Amino acid sequence: MIYFTELEHLPSFDVKGEYLGRLFDLGVDPSQNSLRVASYLVRTPKRNLLCITHDQMQSISVRAAQTRVPAAEIRCYAPDEGMMRIKKDVLDQQVIDVDHRKVVRVNDVDLDIRPTNGHTDLRIVAANVGVAAAVRRLLQGLAAKHTIRLVAGLFPSKVIPWEFINLIELDPARRVKLRISYDRLARLHPADIADILEELGRDEQKALIESLDEETAAQVLSEIPTRLQAALLESFPVGKAADIVEEMPPDEAADVLQEMPPETSAEVLADMGQEEAEDVRELLGFEENTAGALMTNEFVFVGDAATVEGAIAAIKNFEGPLESIHVVYLVGSTAVLTGAVPLARIVLAESATPLKELVAEQLISLPFHADQKEVVDLFHKYNLVTLPVVDDKGYLLGVVASDDVLELMVNRK
Amino acid sequence: MATNRERLRRWRRSLVIVFAVVGPGIITANVDNDAGGIYTYSVAGATYGYSLLWTLIPITIALIVVQEMVSRMGVVTGKGLADLIREEYGFRTTFILMGLLLAANLGNTVANFAGLASGMSLFGASRFIAVPVGALFVWLLVVRGTHRVVENVFLAACVFYIAYPISCFFANPDWSHALISTVKPSFHFDRGYLYMTIGLVGTTIAPWMQFYQQAAVVEKGIKIKNYALARWDVFIGCAMTDVVAFFIIVACASTIFVSGGRHISSAADAALALRPLAGHAAQILFAFGLVNASLFASSILPLSTAYYVCEGLGLESGINKRFREAPTFYWLYTALIFLGAFIVVVLRESQQVPIILLSQVANGILLPCVLVFMLRLSNRRDLMGEYRNKRFFNIVAWATCIVMISLTTLLLVSSFFPGRLPV
Repeated sequence: MIYFTELEHLPSFDVKGEYLGRLFDLGVDPSQNSLRVASYLVRTPKRNLLCITHDQMQSISVRAAQTRVPAAEIRCYAPDEGMMRIKKDVLDQQVIDVDHRKVVRVNDVDLDIRPTNGHTDLRIVAANVGVAAAVRRLLQGLAAKHTIRLVAGLFPSKVIPWEFINLIELDPARRVKLRISYDRLARLHPADIADILEELGRDEQKALIESLDEETAAQVLSEIPTRLQAALLESFPVGKAADIVEEMPPDEAADVLQEMPPETSAEVLADMGQEEAEDVRELLGFEENTAGALMTNEFVFVGDAATVEGAIAAIKNFEGPLESIHVVYLVGSTAVLTGAVPLARIVLAESATPLKELVAEQLISLPFHADQKEVVDLFHKYNLVTLPVVDDKGYLLGVVASDDVLELMVNRK
Repeated sequence: MATNRERLRRWRRSLVIVFAVVGPGIITANVDNDAGGIYTYSVAGATYGYSLLWTLIPITIALIVVQEMVSRMGVVTGKGLADLIREEYGFRTTFILMGLLLAANLGNTVANFAGLASGMSLFGASRFIAVPVGALFVWLLVVRGTHRVVENVFLAACVFYIAYPISCFFANPDWSHALISTVKPSFHFDRGYLYMTIGLVGTTIAPWMQFYQQAAVVEKGIKIKNYALARWDVFIGCAMTDVVAFFIIVACASTIFVSGGRHISSAADAALALRPLAGHAAQILFAFGLVNASLFASSILPLSTAYYVCEGLGLESGINKRFREAPTFYWLYTALIFLGAFIVVVLRESQQVPIILLSQVANGILLPCVLVFMLRLSNRRDLMGEYRNKRFFNIVAWATCIVMISLTTLLLVSSFFPGRLPV
């Protein structure tokens, strides 16, 4: 194992022992091999940059590097967007530790020396984020290398295997060239991705959301503060923003659209699919801090004459997220809310049972203009999971879910 | 009806935007008027009367130039200054800067607990009680209090600075003389006057402010399109700092200086000297302002220091994390407060001198570095895009920085060789 801090400024010689310069940076070509160091950048005494390819490298140690070709065969470095550079792109930068689901800053990079048919390869093993690596950075060049190893060994070390590291690249074209994929990251829980997102700078946040598919992006956005959601969505082209908002639950979508300037939110709405836009528009009219502003209009309801079979059919046709269903609502002929049936009772009942026989004893609901404090009080008092919201005539308008109430409480704190 | 409601909503909307933006600049600027600041302004007024007032205008401009730059960097990049320096200048530079910042702010914390002690002594409280209680209050506020409580307490602290203008009115100053002195520069070529000028600049533009302001802007998540408003936050904050400074100088000038001048060795001394000349109420207000400012600064300084030291070194930080998740952060914060309080309670004043000196040196080295890094960073096209410094702004900013750097160097030299300023 060798550390990048030990390789930086390493004196380099060609095959004849002629001094070339000092090692400046290491380059990786992800299109060939994302773990192998593909080129060694050496700064000559005249401050030119040489680029030694990996198969030109004879040997490498903490003392020196030697090529197996004469100096004349080594070409000059030409800037290459497709090359990931350890010092420039990795060291001191924020990267995502997918395994521990957090953002870390890289102190050092661990490498492995591997002699390979006649030349020497370096393999990237891990990113080092611990105190030991910080000590190495601090002492680098000030003390002998073995002394530094000794001193750094006294401190705790923390390494993240390279396969768990996700680099954050701002330029989408370069992201493709460097083969940076967020597949692993996208498999994390959206709430975890949201936590990671909040740790990053503005441009990094944008890059991360850009690289997720719309559905994941929408789930992640739903988990961050509304103001940040709006700021991010506004930084995207209208089409992209509309695609993401479409995938968000209607109540979240309405919240974020209300946070944006009216012109922008109108453009986004116009660009959304007809049906989704309609759902969101219904929710946009409600006053802030009322039950109406808190509710969603995705819920399951059936006519009050329906049977258990009918309720199950309604659940099968439901387009919203299934895990949000806890109750099936009953409405009368004029869409007036008449009852609520807990899902568990439906599951346990015979399919021909009329739902009316299964309704919860007390029907608790609130008008849309009720204050959100009342909503919280009702949830607390009656241990509710969901609460139907009605208008003054008793028409069922929407449902407040407990997770929205919880979020409200946490944010108020 | 509908249009009224629409108008109401739009009005509420713009109010929401204002609250989403205002804060960082004003809080930073108010913390700037801490115990050390109040002391310096008092001495300036007591020793030189109105004749230093004119420096407040160039100081305000310099402060605005510097703070606007960091505020802009925070809004555009969404990253703290320590983060940007780390990414650009590497680990070792960041580590050294953070070490200096720690030393500088330990000194500042000591100065503020000393201010608390001397302010409370005017209310008859012993420093052996006032300082430990104050330290515990400040520590508990941040560690146990919710974000909302903390913010409200801080904003309330800002309001209490009104104590200074009021006590100034009690002092019944010669307003026309004061106002003319503010706009009409006057130079004295004696050494003490020059020291005082440098002291004023040094106490008003301190390196921690740049880190704090940028971090606060990032934390607040201000959007680029609201930047025009955020800029007003900076302007108003900087102006507030110097308006408070103005009233302190005028209060001391119109009483202590006019009645023949008198040496004052602490901010509480100034409050005491006000009493026979401006009345008991003025003294109480002045002392209250001092206690308020000391408490305010001794909670924000250690907190923010712990915050960006951890950020720069890539450690977990933030009051929304648990102790177990961010141990270094909490330990740093706790250590700064309790060490600061300990030094004030246990050490005699003469024993505190080396710490204050160390803090001044740290500040002196830090400021030029921070200013130069800041200027270079805010000119980077890849970082700032269209928001990088304009050419004219750059000329003003570089000029400001060069003046600041030379003055700080002079201050540094003078604190090592008292009375031997090389002029």
